[in-house]
Amino acid sequence: MIKTDVVIIGGGATGCGIARDLTLRGIHHYLVEKGDFANGATGACHGLLHSGARYVTNDPEAAHECITENIILRKIAKKCVEVTGGLFVRLPGDSRRFRDTFLKSCEDVGIPTEVLSPSRALDLVENLNPAMEEAIRVPDCSIDPFRLCMLNAFTSRHRGGGVLIHHKVIEIVKEKGRCIGVKAQDRFSSQVKEIRAKIIINATGAWGDQIAHLSGSEAPMTLSKGSLIISNHRLTNMVINRLRPPSDGDIIVPNEAVCLAGTTSVPVTDPDAIEVDPREVDIVATQAEQLIPKFGTTRLIRAYTGVRPLLKAPSGDSRNISRGFQIIDHNNGMFSILGGKLSTYRLMAEKMVDAIVGHFGVKVSCTTADVPLEGQEELSGYPLSKRLKEMDNIVCECELVTRDDVEGVINSIGTKHIGDIQHRTRLGMGPCQGGFCTYRALGIMQEIGRVSPEESMHILREFLQRRFRGIRPALWGDQLREEQLVESIYLGILNMEQHQ
Amino acid sequence: MIAREYDVVVIGGGMSGFMASHTLSRKGYKTALISQGDPVCSLSTGCIDVLSRSKDPLSGIRELPDDHPYRLVGEKAVEEALQFFSQIMDKTAIPYTGDPRENREILTPVGTTKTTCLVPRTMAHAQGDAGDYIHVVSFKGLKDFYPSYITSRIANSSFSLFDAKVTSTLSIATRFEEKPFLDEFISWIQDLDTPFGTIALPAVLGMRKPMAVLEELSSKTGRVIFEIPTLPPSIPGMRLFRALKSTLQQAGGHVYWGKPVSSVERRGSRIEAVTLATSGRPSRVYGRAFILASGSFVSGGLFASRTSVQETVFDLPVFVPGPRTDWFNHDFFTPGHAIEKAGILIGPSFRPRESDLENLFVCGSIIAHSEIMKNHCGHGLAIATGCAAANACDKELS
Repeated sequence: MIKTDVVIIGGGATGCGIARDLTLRGIHHYLVEKGDFANGATGACHGLLHSGARYVTNDPEAAHECITENIILRKIAKKCVEVTGGLFVRLPGDSRRFRDTFLKSCEDVGIPTEVLSPSRALDLVENLNPAMEEAIRVPDCSIDPFRLCMLNAFTSRHRGGGVLIHHKVIEIVKEKGRCIGVKAQDRFSSQVKEIRAKIIINATGAWGDQIAHLSGSEAPMTLSKGSLIISNHRLTNMVINRLRPPSDGDIIVPNEAVCLAGTTSVPVTDPDAIEVDPREVDIVATQAEQLIPKFGTTRLIRAYTGVRPLLKAPSGDSRNISRGFQIIDHNNGMFSILGGKLSTYRLMAEKMVDAIVGHFGVKVSCTTADVPLEGQEELSGYPLSKRLKEMDNIVCECELVTRDDVEGVINSIGTKHIGDIQHRTRLGMGPCQGGFCTYRALGIMQEIGRVSPEESMHILREFLQRRFRGIRPALWGDQLREEQLVESIYLGILNMEQHQ
Repeated sequence: MIAREYDVVVIGGGMSGFMASHTLSRKGYKTALISQGDPVCSLSTGCIDVLSRSKDPLSGIRELPDDHPYRLVGEKAVEEALQFFSQIMDKTAIPYTGDPRENREILTPVGTTKTTCLVPRTMAHAQGDAGDYIHVVSFKGLKDFYPSYITSRIANSSFSLFDAKVTSTLSIATRFEEKPFLDEFISWIQDLDTPFGTIALPAVLGMRKPMAVLEELSSKTGRVIFEIPTLPPSIPGMRLFRALKSTLQQAGGHVYWGKPVSSVERRGSRIEAVTLATSGRPSRVYGRAFILASGSFVSGGLFASRTSVQETVFDLPVFVPGPRTDWFNHDFFTPGHAIEKAGILIGPSFRPRESDLENLFVCGSIIAHSEIMKNHCGHGLAIATGCAAANACDKELS
């Protein structure tokens, strides 16, 4: 049995942010995550560090939080944030009145804006629709959510905190009506660990109500699915928004070598039973094409979807629900933190920790807004020239990942999960989506004795199934060609269809 | 502009295009074959899958839906076409083995077995059930071949690795063409300490004369040896297409390699010529008849946009199985996605059914309702329809 002060359930941005905040205030804790970091909405969003401008007209409070945190994160998380800047683009037919309200609201909230003529906007982003009427520049940025979680957890890990990924909470241990710990099961070995704590924090996003139920309480939320598509090229170096009230397909975010375009908003009930509908892809692709015409002819890599854990709304369009957050004290030793956004994760963590420090007699105040994230200096980026010299050693040709990179991850975190290698090396993130390299990564795992050939085949089957779910909704053009080639390898050459 | 005239112009350098060209040049026609470059099917295993659903692949044709192109060719003509293919290959350095009336199981790189029909003779002993006592030899650093997959599935088996100093199938195959390398490899095999007499290798035994390499290896080591087809790039697939190309050229067929069609000259309901995009002056190729063998999506004969499917050379009407939302099953392992039915609808004379073009014939995987992955019938269907379209064209021209 493990003993600690606080158990955090959930390894998304909020959970990892809470872990770091507790570390800096000297409170011992364990973080338990059922998958890898950024497993839920954190990893399935568009990776936008909001300027807040998107929310100024309907939710000025959330917009204000966004701009404040935007400034803080650009300072403390330099290696996670790309300071791209953003544009709100007004196309013919978009309301001028909305534009005026937008500018006024930005001023009220304190979001700096600059109105640009079409020719100035086209100088900045040459692929923009030349028929645009004007663009408004705002301080939107691109952010790497996975790296953000890793770095927040890094602080905790290196200063005595416990971090358990691939551990699912299966039971909240209670004594006389109070929550005194959790039982967490290892996804691979099925072994159960019991962790005792004074306080349990439920930071599981869309799974919040499920976890609250384990303790006999409730955390009512409105769940809204948002789907996005990934293009094979970086068609813009700035975040591109549509200057109109929030609606489907109004944003394009550059990220590494690709662009993400989103999003839709569809109410859902079960966060584990979601997939992208090809019609959502049509909606987003059509809208993205209006902002950047080249989106229509660029190869799409895949589609993905995440669930927004929104505060409970009585009814109506979930886009109008506040993007603010809420902390619930269940009065039984458990707290739930609900709602919020990736952009405000740090603030959410601060308020959450403020709410519980009293239990530990700690008077240290929050310093996460001032202390830069530790571990950033170790991130080296992607030295292309170096990798090209090791061609014989390359496992993933799309992203130039070497055998040493793959072995490094397998050995350092001792994983059997192919997703862990993908997240940490970018293996399989390119156009073939792991169609070739996953088989190799599993072969390597087998050679170094991490998995048996039988396990390896099982993991490969699971991977191919999951991969196909992401690709299927956006299959046409070159991606369809590639998919049929991949199919001919696994179902033709290797005949994995008959051999279960 | 350079202009040349032929009796028949075949567009597409995959299996069906080559078989159509071979059929016609044997009948004495002056033929030209146009290809964008090495065909996608050179990525294949080199094995001829005919139809996997029954022990006798040809009898399975009767159970196919009426609109499947095999039904149009007919069982007997499919058999004759496969025999013709074997005859062609017998005269090359990569002869084939097998009976068109009997499927066989061969070992795959993950130790599963795969149903196929005719195989390169280097895979003659690759039957799954004969693999009970095998020693797998692989090569250090080879990325797509992990012998433990095979040894974990076969009780009496073991493996060892040879260091060829190079790590891709292509560069290892090239090394096997060097005498000193082969000698070094042979003596390494002779020193192998393994009780298992049969040796299985990934398919890398040379590019040009694999049978000669295999026979020398086998006679000097006294062991039964066979190749296992690998993932792309696949040496047996490349060998096959190089052999088909050179035998066609020897038989007098002209080959335009690496030159895509850039435009089509039509007069009324006839195609007069196609123009090729070449690096120098464009060339125009005239023909009395044309055969479209440009393949399906992977080869680029068909191209899917978000809302429709185009045929990329003549812009023929394409049969599309419903809206895009229904093109693919939800499950990766369930064979038979609807999109596999997409293609050109043809009539009994292998002409496109929904076009007024009189002198155009269609063969290979671009024909609608082929469902190649579902039926595992890729090369078999290409051979059968390639010969059948050529015969229909012959009837028309004579």
